[in-house]
Formats: sequence, structure tokens, C-alpha cells
Amino acid sequence: MTKQRIGRSVLAATSAVLVATALAAGCTSDNGPESEDGVITVTFAASTFGDPGRGPALLDLLDEFNKSQDRIRVAAAAVPFPTFGQTVLTQMGSGLGPDLIRFDMPEFAAASEAGLLAPLDELIDVSQYNLHQQPDKFMFYDGVRYGIIFEASNYALFYNADLIPEPPKTYEEFFQIAKDLTNGDTYGLAFRQTEAEMAGVWQDIFNYVYGFGGAWSDGKNLTINNPKNLEGLLKYQELYDANVIPRGADAATFRRMFAEGKVGMEINNGGYVTATRGQNPDLNFSVAPIPFPVRAQGAILAPITINAASPAKEAAAEFITWVLQPENQVKLQEILGASSVATVTQRSAESLAETPFLTVFDELTDTSLPHVVLGFEAKTPEIRQVVVENVIAALQGTIDMKTALDRAQEQALALVS
Amino acid sequence: MSVLEQISEPRSEARRRGHNLRRRSPLGSRWTPYLFLAPGAIFILVFQAVPLVQEVYLSFTRTSLLNPTRSRWVGFDNYVKIFSDDDFHRTLFTAIIYVIACVVGAVGSGLVVALLLDKGFRGRGVARALVTVPWAAPGIAVALIATWMFNNQYGIVNRFLNAVGLGLPGGAILDSPRYALPAILVTTIWQLFPFTSVVLLSALQSVPQDLTEAATMDGAGRWATFREVTWQVIKPVVGLLALLMTIWSLRRFELIWLMTKGGPVGATKTLVIDLYSQAFDSRELGTAAAIGMVGVIISLMVITASRFVARAAEKEGIR
Amino acid sequence: MRRFQISHTLRILAVLVVLGIAVFPLYWMVVTALSTNADLFADKPRLVPDFSQIGVFFDALAEGKVGGWLRNSLVVAVGTTVLSVGLGIPLGYALSRFSFRGKALTTLVLLFTQMPPEALLVVPLFALFRRYNLLDSLVGLIFVNSAFVLPIVALILKGAIDGIPRELEEAGRVDGARPLAILTRINVPLIAPSIAATAVISFFHAWNEYVFAVTFIFTPAIQPASVGIANFIGELGTPIQTVMAVAFMFTLPAVLFYLFAQKYVVAGMTAGAVKG
Repeated sequence: MTKQRIGRSVLAATSAVLVATALAAGCTSDNGPESEDGVITVTFAASTFGDPGRGPALLDLLDEFNKSQDRIRVAAAAVPFPTFGQTVLTQMGSGLGPDLIRFDMPEFAAASEAGLLAPLDELIDVSQYNLHQQPDKFMFYDGVRYGIIFEASNYALFYNADLIPEPPKTYEEFFQIAKDLTNGDTYGLAFRQTEAEMAGVWQDIFNYVYGFGGAWSDGKNLTINNPKNLEGLLKYQELYDANVIPRGADAATFRRMFAEGKVGMEINNGGYVTATRGQNPDLNFSVAPIPFPVRAQGAILAPITINAASPAKEAAAEFITWVLQPENQVKLQEILGASSVATVTQRSAESLAETPFLTVFDELTDTSLPHVVLGFEAKTPEIRQVVVENVIAALQGTIDMKTALDRAQEQALALVS
Repeated sequence: MSVLEQISEPRSEARRRGHNLRRRSPLGSRWTPYLFLAPGAIFILVFQAVPLVQEVYLSFTRTSLLNPTRSRWVGFDNYVKIFSDDDFHRTLFTAIIYVIACVVGAVGSGLVVALLLDKGFRGRGVARALVTVPWAAPGIAVALIATWMFNNQYGIVNRFLNAVGLGLPGGAILDSPRYALPAILVTTIWQLFPFTSVVLLSALQSVPQDLTEAATMDGAGRWATFREVTWQVIKPVVGLLALLMTIWSLRRFELIWLMTKGGPVGATKTLVIDLYSQAFDSRELGTAAAIGMVGVIISLMVITASRFVARAAEKEGIR
Repeated sequence: MRRFQISHTLRILAVLVVLGIAVFPLYWMVVTALSTNADLFADKPRLVPDFSQIGVFFDALAEGKVGGWLRNSLVVAVGTTVLSVGLGIPLGYALSRFSFRGKALTTLVLLFTQMPPEALLVVPLFALFRRYNLLDSLVGLIFVNSAFVLPIVALILKGAIDGIPRELEEAGRVDGARPLAILTRINVPLIAPSIAATAVISFFHAWNEYVFAVTFIFTPAIQPASVGIANFIGELGTPIQTVMAVAFMFTLPAVLFYLFAQKYVVAGMTAGAVKG
């Protein structure tokens, strides 16, 4: 046999083997949710699974559910965080996608409007649970319930207790501390300010807008350029211009800096407590309410929803019902950390002893708002883009903040009409 | 014939040459060419042509990502909308700058590297393998490490610049409208040069050694040998490579998306970034398709222009 | 003699500089992977890896998923390479040697396929894949990657075959050999370097592909590494050390493949040609 013949037959054999392997590996797509032994598989997509701290714990919770009965198996779906919204929505838009999805509010609103989610009242009876009323209000679209709170995480001021003995109570104190702490490569504060983190900037500026008495809308009309918004955002700009933040640093980086004591303060949500502990268990940090004139801030409201195209809606609903049981709600809250869950829960004495400032978060639930534009929830992603682009242009000095907000108002009006 | 010569050759010439070949072939099976073509052609048709046609249709509609089967015909509205947007003109300009810089940078550096690696030396195999590292590295990893290297406060690039006295204000690179695009270009060319050097190296290796040896023996200097012998052989490949890189650069997106998402304030927004943003952030598939079509038309214009250039060069006898 | 030596030294120096540029970011990945958080923000940057942190690599591997990711990436990459080169050789040969209706048009169409960005085609392809049950499978990824790479492979190989004088084939044809045999016995060994080049192009394209992989794959078990790495980028934090460690482990096999491709494939084929 010549070398070519050998080469060719090796090639042929290899390709055959490879195609066979690939086919075998790929042959997991079945037509129905049931496998041969009658177990229904339900896939659950949540960006939380990617958290180094909370992800594995959440997987353990899924395991517990799976062990508690033998008809349904919940498995984590393979959707990474960086492209979570677009991946899931693309899949769902084409009639597929995971069975259970933990959404962020802007995507939840868009998905509800597009009819991609299953109405939950027919699948789950929520009347028997003591739900937090304020966050639950946002789980509806057009009067129909499409989600149940999985996690409600309020924004508060994180500060390094070694560097800051007493947390600031007013904006002026806040600004002063930020300036005093900034020295060399240490910064008093950190927040997001680049297009690369557009969703994050939206979350960060939300606190400044509402904390100074502003609002993106009054429920009926867009009020992007109202004077109170301008006041709040001018403060954002003031901090940016004063160089008290590490400019250009993305959230992953400046949170690592906070854990290393290089950043003194950060306005972040409760889920971050566990992450910080994971980065540096020895960090002495604490939490206080945001020191702005008005007690109103954003919250990460993450509903768990069922895909309207799912072939296993009842099984998915069973999982949600299981999670709503009081003892499992407590477990979920322990996993999530300083967040609230759907129902009112009592924190255990140990968790309070370990993390005394948990109560700070819990007390903020009633004054927290999700990061959507009220009355225009489904259009939030588009409005968000327009607002953030203009705000960043102002930060970069291309235009001034007032013009930025006026332009944003104009562009957003064009979008929603 | 090179690809460029091929597509600019007048039809009659091609037919004449083709007929000669067929008459001489003893097998004469009319179907042989089609058998060779069929598997590949069908494959490409199904996975590329069909979706592309759908996209052309989509560009004339208003379609949401969340409901891709429900389209509303709007005629040229999408095109009017994007062309009347001032920002879009800037996007086009940025895209063109990006493309030119990428092609010149990647092909140029690829040629230099290929020439360096053409002659033998100890450890050449290892050197060749190591040169492919930028190409082999996954896009996300490159984006992450590049972003970290360009970090304003702690990035190694800024530390180095400060150390040699070339410090940038605030260390702002990726969030500076001035330096963001150059930083992206540097990273992109770093990613691309292994590809161009691999292709050019394989072309260089097919330069007949007896020709170069004959030239040297005739007393030609290194530069003359390169110009008269080597360059003539690899010219078609360089041409094809430049064309390919141009078309590809119009659609490169991963690095920019992961590093700056088109910012700051649109400084790094190319056509593809705009397209992606329209499709997945604004969920407007129709507008995205229209932007995509603009990119395709630009590519077509580039190919047509190269056709004319090749024909003109041929006519003037510059071969 | 002296002139030769100086230029040889210069060449070596230039190559070292090029290698330095090519490899530095990868080196920096290793340094970052092996740095503690304190190291990253220290006054003086850590320039040399701290091997006491080598546990990062083992932890990442021990997670159990990295091996699977690499295996999936390997399946997709090798499958794409075999399919696109396998279809590309006859396609390139046909474009070079045969004359048929619409030949110039075909070449244009091939170039044309390189124009639309992947992002543009994701949605229609998703619908297409759904219809043919190609979703959530590595085979589907192999198909779509090959479809993108095949035109380039064909064009490059066409160019390579163009460079082979037809006289060489004439001899074979006079002997009564069929076109397929001419192709494999005569042309293929001669264009071996180009075949190796296209194999590398196909492999790397499929190895790094992200957009289709993330949209079309639902089951974690068959995620390729390009998507797997993205899993580490969490909402609340990115363990950059782990990500860099995995990124390094993801880059190595591709580089090793190139070593294999250029040495083995080329040698195997040219040896056959010499033997006749």
C-alpha cells in the first residue's frame, strides 16, 4: 500500500469515527421532555449559575429538588452571562429555549410583551404564600402574571469599614469621603461608565436619578430630562470629573479592587455581599443606606419565568412551587446572600450574627424600584441604550449633561411612538 | 490564473481555453466537473445562500428578534432611516478606517513574518508554531487579557508607557475616544498576522527554488530577486489575501464587541457593531439586516474595484 | 561569508522579536492566572509568574468541565477541518481545471459568501437548524462552520492548483487515469503546503467560533470551550485567574495542532509524491 492509500484510508476512518462521535454526542435532542424512564427534564437558565460563589450552591438546591421526587429533573441550561439576554431571547423567539428562565427586568418586560412567557396564575396558586407586595407588583404585564420573584436585591452603599469608620449620611459627606480617600492608586468610589457595560451603567445611574427625586417616567409620559434627573446625573458627572473613581475600569476589576481595599465605597446590590466575601474573606466591610436626599433606589428584581413554548410547563411550575415552600425560601435566601426572595422570610440568628448589616438590605425592599421605565417596561432596553449613550457622551465631555438628557428624551420619544 | 485575473478575463478567452481542455480529455464525461462541484456547492447554498436571501428580505421589513416570523413590509424605510442618521455616517467612516488599517497591517506584517520564516534555521518549526499563538487564542480570552493589559490604572501597557515617559492622560486607552480605535487595531492585527503569515508562507514555499537560485547566480541582488521572481509568484496570493482580509474586516466583531462595544461615544463603532446592537439590543432585525446589506454592498464594490484594477494592470502589460 | 552571517543573525533577532510580540499576551495570561488579587493591584507589577499559585490550573481542571469543553471543541474543530478540506479539494480542483457554465460567477459567489457577518445569519440559520433537527448538536456546528470556511478553502486550493502546470496532469491523462486519480495522485501531493494551510484555517475558525456555538447549543455537556470560558464571566465577578488559566489551556491544543499539521501532514504527503 502506498503512503497515499494509507493516508486516505486513515483520513476516511478518522472522519467516520468523528462524525459518529459527534452524532452520538449530539443526539440529545429528543422530541418530548420525557426520556425513556419517564423522567421529565426541565432546563433552567440563570446567570447566577456562573457566579463562583453562588452558582455551585444553587446547583445543590436543584439537586435537592431532584432528590425530593423522581418524576422531574431540573438541570442548569448552558447560557453564559455575557450574552445571556440575547442568547435566550433568540432561542425563545424561534420557539425554543430553556423551560425556566431567571430574567432581569428589562428582558422580562420585553419577553412578556412578545408573548414568549407562560401566564403563571393557571399553573401556580400564589395566594397561599406571603409574598413581598412591592416587588411582586412588577411581575405583571397587561394584568397577567408572568413571573414570580426569584431574587430581589436592593442597592445600598458598601464601604470599607477600615478606611471609613462612619458611613456618610448626606451626599456632601459622601463626596468628601470619596475625595479624601482618593490617593495614588486608591480610589474613594467606583461605578461603571463605559458602553461596554451599558446595562451596568443604567443600573448605577438609576440610584442617582431616583435618589435625588427624579424618575424616568411618571407612568404615562417619559420624563427623561426632568430637572431632578439632571440634578442627580450632574452629581454622577461631578464624581467622574473629580477623578475619585478608577476610570475605564470595568465592574469585575473595580470590585476586585474593593476586595483588596483599593476602592473605598461602592453602591451595589445585596447579591454582591457573597461575592465580596468570596474574593476576600478578611475584608472588613459594611453596608449603609445610600446617602442621597430621597430614599429611593434601584433593585435587581429577577423573576423566574416559564417559557411559553416549553413542553414541560407543569413540571416547571412544580419546581417553582417547591421553591416557594417556606423552608426552601429560607434555603434560597441563604444561597443568594443579602437578597430577598419572593416571600417574607425570617433570617436565622446565625446569619444575622455573621452579617449584621443584612437588615439594612431587608429594610430597603419597600423603597426599591426595578430598573425599568414605568409604563414603558417592554421598551426599557431601547430607552436604556439611548439614555446611557447620551450620558456617557456627557461624561466624556462631548456634550453637557442637560443637552444629553434633552437628546435622550427626544430619541426615546421617537422610539416609543 | 489568479482569482483576480479569472474574474476579469473576458468570457470568450475562457471558453476558448476550456474547449481545448475538454476536447483533449479522453474521458469526456460532461458530468465530472459537476460531480466535483456538487457536494461543496450544495453545502454552501444551503447554509449560506438561503439565509442570506432571507436577510435581504428582512432588510425591507420591520421584524422583532422576539417574533422573527412576523414581519411587516416597510420597503426602503430601514435604509432611509439609517442613512439619514448622522451617527451612521461616522460608523461608515470608522468601518472604512478599520478595514484599511487591518488589511495593510495584517498583510504587511504577515509578509514580513513569512519572509523571516522562509529560510531555514534551528528551531524554525517551533518558531512557526509559536507564531500561530495569537490566532489560536480564543476571542474571549484575547479580549479579556487585552482589556486588562490596557487597564487605565494597572495595565502593563500603561505601566510601560509611564516608565518610558510616554504616559497617557489618566491612562485612558479603551475609554478614550482618541486611543480606543488604535488599541483595538493593534489587538486585531496581533490576532490576524499569524493567518496572513501562514498563507503567505505556504505561497513562498511554492516559489521554485531553481528560479531563485538562477537569479542569484545571474548576479541579482536580494531585492531584485524578490521583485522579479518571488513577488511574481506570490502576487496572486497576496491579491487574494488582501481581498479576503478586506471582506473579512468588514465583518470582524468579537473583539470590538467584548472590549468596547463600539464606544466610547461611537469611536469604535463599525458597521457590524451597529448591526449586532440593532439586532440584539434594540431587537430590530429589519434595521440590522439593512445595515448588513450596506456592508455586503461595500464588499461588492471592493471586489468590483479590484476587478477593474486587475484588468487595468493587465492591459498596461504590468505582469 | 560574513555578509551571510550578519543577515542570518539579524534574521534570528527579528524572529525573536516577532515571537516575543506573538507570545507575550499568552505569557501575560499565565502571569495573571498565577497572580493573587493583591499582586494585580500592587504598586509594582508582577512580571514573572508565581508558581506557588499553580493550584489555579488544577482547580480549574478539577471542576471537571474543562476537559469536556476541550473535547467538544476538538470534535467540532476536527470535524470542520475534515469536512471543509474534504469538500474543498474537489471544489478547488474543479474551479481550477474545468470549464463550465457560470464558472466566473461561482468564484464571485464564493467570495460573496465571505461578506455577511455571522451575526446577520444567526436568526435565519436558527430557524433552518430547527427544521432539520440540527440544534443542540455538535454536528450542526460542524456544518455551519464548514459552510463558512469552505469557500476560502476552495479559493486558496484553487489558487494553489492554478500554480501547477497542466503538463504534469497530461502525463497521467495520457496514461488513461480518471480525473479523481489525477487529482489525488498528482495534484494533492504538490499542493500539500496549501492543504495544510487550509486545514489550519478551518481548525482555528471552528476552534474559536462563539456566536453560533452559544446560540445553537443548549446542553452544558456539549458546550465547546469557546462558550465554556464565557461561563466564568459572572454577573457579580469574574475570577480572572481561573479564566486566564482556562484560556491558556484552551490555546495550547490549537497551537499543538499547528505543529502536527505542518510537520506530519506535509511530510506524509510529500513523501508519497516523491515515491510516486
